[in-house]
Order: sequence, then C-alpha cells, then structure tokens
Amino acid sequence: MDFSQVELTSDQLVFEKEIRELISQNWTPNLAHIAVDHDRMPKSVRMEMSRRGWIHPELAVEAGGAGLGEIELEMITNLFDEYYIPANVSSSLLIPTLEKFGSQWLKDNVLPGIRSGELTTCLGYSEPDNGSDMAAATTRAVQDGDTWVINGQKMWTTWGNESDYVFLLTRTGAVEEKHRTLTMFLVPMNTPGVEATPVWILGGGRTNVTFYTDVVISDNYRIGPVNDGWSVMSEPLATEHGAGVVTEGVSPVNGSMGAGFSRVFQKLVDGAIQWAASRTMPDGRSRLEDPLVRAALAEAMLDLEMCWNAEGELGKPMSAEALAKHADKLADMAAPEGLLDFGVDGSIAAGIIASERQHAPGTAVYGGTTEIYRNNLARRLGLPRPY
Amino acid sequence: MTLVLRRNDYTLSDEQGQLVDMLRSLFTEQSTIDVVRAAEPLGFDQNLWSTVQDNGLLTISIPESVGGDGGGLVELVLAGIEIGRTAAPVPLIDHVVTMRLLSALKGTGVSIDALDWKAALAGDLIVSLAPISTWELGSQLVPSGAVAKAVVAFKDGAIILMTRETPAAQAQNEGCAPVAWWSPNDEDVLTTTLLEGHEAVDIWELAHREWRIATAASLVGLMAISSEIARGYALDRKAFGVTIAKFQAISHQLADIHMDVVTARNMTIKAAWLTENEPDFRPELAAMAMAHATRAALRSTAKAVHVHGGMGITNEADISLFYRKVSSWSLVGGGIRRDLDDISTAIDHRAQELVVTALTSSNR
Repeated sequence: MDFSQVELTSDQLVFEKEIRELISQNWTPNLAHIAVDHDRMPKSVRMEMSRRGWIHPELAVEAGGAGLGEIELEMITNLFDEYYIPANVSSSLLIPTLEKFGSQWLKDNVLPGIRSGELTTCLGYSEPDNGSDMAAATTRAVQDGDTWVINGQKMWTTWGNESDYVFLLTRTGAVEEKHRTLTMFLVPMNTPGVEATPVWILGGGRTNVTFYTDVVISDNYRIGPVNDGWSVMSEPLATEHGAGVVTEGVSPVNGSMGAGFSRVFQKLVDGAIQWAASRTMPDGRSRLEDPLVRAALAEAMLDLEMCWNAEGELGKPMSAEALAKHADKLADMAAPEGLLDFGVDGSIAAGIIASERQHAPGTAVYGGTTEIYRNNLARRLGLPRPY
Repeated sequence: MTLVLRRNDYTLSDEQGQLVDMLRSLFTEQSTIDVVRAAEPLGFDQNLWSTVQDNGLLTISIPESVGGDGGGLVELVLAGIEIGRTAAPVPLIDHVVTMRLLSALKGTGVSIDALDWKAALAGDLIVSLAPISTWELGSQLVPSGAVAKAVVAFKDGAIILMTRETPAAQAQNEGCAPVAWWSPNDEDVLTTTLLEGHEAVDIWELAHREWRIATAASLVGLMAISSEIARGYALDRKAFGVTIAKFQAISHQLADIHMDVVTARNMTIKAAWLTENEPDFRPELAAMAMAHATRAALRSTAKAVHVHGGMGITNEADISLFYRKVSSWSLVGGGIRRDLDDISTAIDHRAQELVVTALTSSNR
C-alpha cells in the first residue's frame, strides 16, 4: 500500500523538459477541434517521438523503444494530455500478440516498424451488422494457394484512413460456427481494394467505414492458426478493456480508457470551476460561493475521485458514465454559456463543457459498450452467460 | 511547471493480509447472523465485545506511548471492513477512533483525568465520538452513544468530554444501532473541556476524518457481503426455467454493486493511507470516502434487496438486515450533504491552482 508522491530523478526532470520542448516545437493544439480519442498526433511529432523510441518507450532500445520505466511512460501520457495531443499511435495492444502469433516474415519485416512507431495500426473488429457480437463477423477470407482474398466491410475503423495496417477479424468457415471459424490478419491498408470512408461523430471526431473488395494478401500476413482468431484476438481485447491492470505502480489503475476518460473529466471539472470563478452573482459575490454551484462541483469532484479508484475493467464504464453525467450537469450549471463552442463570444474554458457533452456519449460505446463491460464483470463474478 | 506523479498501490502487506485473515475468521465464527439478530434492538453483544477485547483488537490502532500496539488508521480500516461483513454488533470503530483522539490529546499534554484511562483502553468503559460538531438541536445523536459512558465532542471551538454513570437511552432506529442523544446540558452528564483553540480544531478535524474513513470501511464491508448474498441468491433462484443470474437485468445490477464495492474500498484505503502518512494532502479525501461509501452502500444494498424480489423485503431475509444496518451506520454522521460541504472546500483550492490562461476565451 503506497500513495506517496514520486520523487522524480534529475534524469526524469531532464526527460520531462525534453518532451515539453519536443511538443512545443512541433505541436500547437487546435482548441476548436479537440477530438483526442479519434485524431492522431501529426506525423512530425510521431517521427520525432519514434526517433527517440518514445512511441513504445517501455520496449528495449534494440526493440525500437527507449528502455524506459513506468514513471517515464506515465510522464509521457500526462504531458500529451496536458498539451491536448491525440496520442493514439501506440500499438502496444498488438505487439505482444504479433510477437506470439505473427509469422516469421511479419516479425522480420513489419514488427520492427510497429515497435518503433514508424508504422501505425488500427483495429478491424466490428461490422455493420455486428458490433458487440464480434463472433458473428462475416468479412470473409478465402485461401487461394499462398494468398488470401478478403471481401467485406468493417465499421468504426478509427484511424483507418491514416494507418499502415489493420488488425483484421475475418471469417474462414461457416458463420454458424461462430468463434470457431475466425482468423486474424494484419492487412496493409495500401493494398488495392481497401478503402476507408469517413464517419463523422459527435464531438467532431472521425472514424471510418472500411471496405475490403477482392483484397489479395500473402499468407505471411496471417496471425495465428486458421480458425483460431478468437484466441489471437482475445488478449489485445482484454488489454483494451483494462483487464489485469496492476495496482502497484504509478500508472492509474483504471485501465487504458478509464484513465483517459478520467483525465478528460478533470478538464471538464476545471473548466466548470473556471466558469464559476469568472462569474458573479447579482449581489456581487463570486459564483464560487453559490451553494448550488458548489454542490454541483463537489459532486463532480467526488465522482472524479471515484473514477480514479475504479480499477481494471471497472475503469471504462464508470469513467464514461460519470463523464456523461457530469458533462450534462455542468453544462446545465454553466448555462447558457455552457452550450457555446470554443472561440464563441462568452464560451467557457476552451468550450470544454460543450465539447465534452458531445464527446461523452461515445466514451460509453467505443471499445465495447458499457453493457458489454457489465457482461464481462458478471462473468468474472462467476455468473452465467446472459440468457 | 513540473509533473507530479503519485503511486497507486492498494495492495496489502503480508502482515496486513494476515490481520485480515484473522479478523475474517474471528468475526465469521463469532458474529453469526443469529448473534447479530439476537443483539437487536440495542445492536450490542457483550460476549462478542469481550471476544474483541480478549483478542486485543481495541489496541491495534492505538499508539504504543499510551499503551497501544502502535498500528494505525489503515489497520482500523481493515478491521472496519471485516466488522461490516458480519454487521458485528460491537462499537469497535467509534471506540477506537475516540481513543485515538484522546491519545493525541494526551500526547500534547492534555489531562484526561475525567476518564478511567485503563478501563477505556481495555474496553471495559466504552467511549464514542459525536461526529457532528454543529449543535442546532442542542444535543447530538451519537453513534454507540447507547453503550458508551463517555463521549467526545467538539463544541464552541473546544473539544469536550461528556461522561455519564450509565449510557444514554437508545434512540430507536431502523438498523438497531446503539445510537443515543447526548447533550452537555443533560443533568446526568458531566462535561469537561479538554482543549480549546487552533490545536483543538486540528486534532478534532483529524479525528473526524478518521471517523469518516473507518465508518466508510464498515459500509464497504456491509455492501461487500450484501453483494455476495445477492450473487448467491441470483445463482440459486430460478425463474422462467433458468437461474435469474442469466438475465442481464439481474447480472448488470450485480455488476453495478461490484463496481460500488471496489471503488468504495479503494477510496477508503487510499484516504486512510494518505490521512495517516500525509494528513495535509487533500484533506477532502476522507469526506469523499465517506460520501461515496454512504451512497454506494445505500444503493447497493437496495439493489441487493431488489435482486431477491419479494423475499428481499421480508424480515427473515438476511439481506434485509444488512439493508437496515446501512442507514443507521452511515447517516448518523450527518449524511452526504455534510460530506459534500466539506468536499467543496477543494473547489476553492483548485480554483487557486488553475491559472486562467488563453484557454479561456471569455472576458465577460
């Protein structure tokens, strides 16, 4: 048990300074468009990061990382968040899977670039007719000698328009066989027949529908045995959901998405406090002294602390739902200005309240709906599969 | 600007794990549901209290300098969770928190002559705390006030000690907790002022925080066992030909309860550790732990009752007993409204931290 402050070493302080310099030289946030979950950091920043091994800093230097520890990793995460950098270029979900199941050819020719961050990936799981029910995938891969021909359509392929590879779930047998006839591939997005069409979502972010029309790829791009894609996919999926998050270090305990949503939640609360601090009541006193405002802010701060204590798979559903609840409540508290976008006369703290009300509903959906998380939690409690 | 990172380690040490095992075993064996029921309506079982005394549990979190074993708030929290798991009818939390407060006073040289220290340390004389320090009604509803002969309170800027020859009469309540009204103006009460001034405020506030955290721990225990009972019922009970746990309408409620249990436990442990090791850091964490544990316990046990259907609302059902305990154990501290009031002090702190930068486009 330990909640003490980490005393940063002189090397770590230099590291922080270096990141701040790198960011300030390569990045100016566009506060009118903050879609950190669906944008990607610009290539200039990515290549600078990659050169230093900071895309996957936890990997050894010879593996394309920087051999850094958990503290430095957490520093990067926090600093990227501070500067509103969409940081999702990491393939950390996939690297262990590629190492375990990838063909030797993939390991030799693609994995090094993914590790260094020069190459980027996206996820191709959901389809138009099956979102949460991934074992119902119908995108078909048919073997033809040493190649595969893929036809189908995927939904919600976020970063599909700017990734080098897609981690693709395909059907290689009868659909009725559900999870027993699935096979995974790492498909180059520049293969003829792959097309990404934008889907614009609440909050201004972009995701994609991706079409696969007679896409021919070598068997080298297959990951794991034919028809065993469910096993291959399960590990990165569980990691994405925050399963098995350790609780002994400096990283937040609440999983990959839970921590990100909690950081956004903090910005929302800060924005609301800034609104209250800059407004007065009719009697001249600050809105910070308004009992109704204080009650709303105190409850938001309470829920924020709750989110930081929601460990593992609890992190995502609790953070997403708390974010949505308080985006509504704080927009109402700061009404009417709470509805204004960034830059509009009278808007609040980079329009954070308005933009978070747009952003929040998606957080309870992408990466798995909160209902799916509850199903998973129920299974961990030893309850049977849903009726 | 420099980053500030903190560790997030909720794991128990081997020693703490052994303490939990010992407590789990003791309370499971000695504080059975029959014992808890038999202890009602007062909510106190002398035999179990004697067991607590004999096992040295009253001195675990008392400083060695005043005769204790030197453990801290974290150990008290671990005990609180185990007490909650069986709704143990013993005033361990109120007694130990109060003894820690009195120990702190002794440490500053305050005389506690009005109290038989040896008897209190042994638990032969039960002491308690009046957690609310506003006196609109002139008297206070004191947790364990119906079994205590001494109550420490904060009134008019001073820490006071109220003593009686016999405990005050219980104020009937749904959870059958031994709560009672205490007033320094009562003719049966002898009141002694122990300490006044800033030091008194600081010592009182710390004790109040400790009471909130330790009480939150007991609520964590109550909801944890409620979660397990509801889970067991959902797995056992069949409807429409299948176990009701197969219905998402049921299993998702159980998942929600689980989320409340885990977050309440973690917030309580974190608040305890930080209050003990860095008392000046985020003092609102104690109120947050209590507020979340209170609301989580209220709604979780209500859901656990609901999962049982009609059986849940019968007095015979174990789950209805835990449901009743929650409100009596939590709301006696003044409820979430008062917690939020204290949490709101963090707003002012954060407002000072926030630099209104170019992020703010408004100049209105």
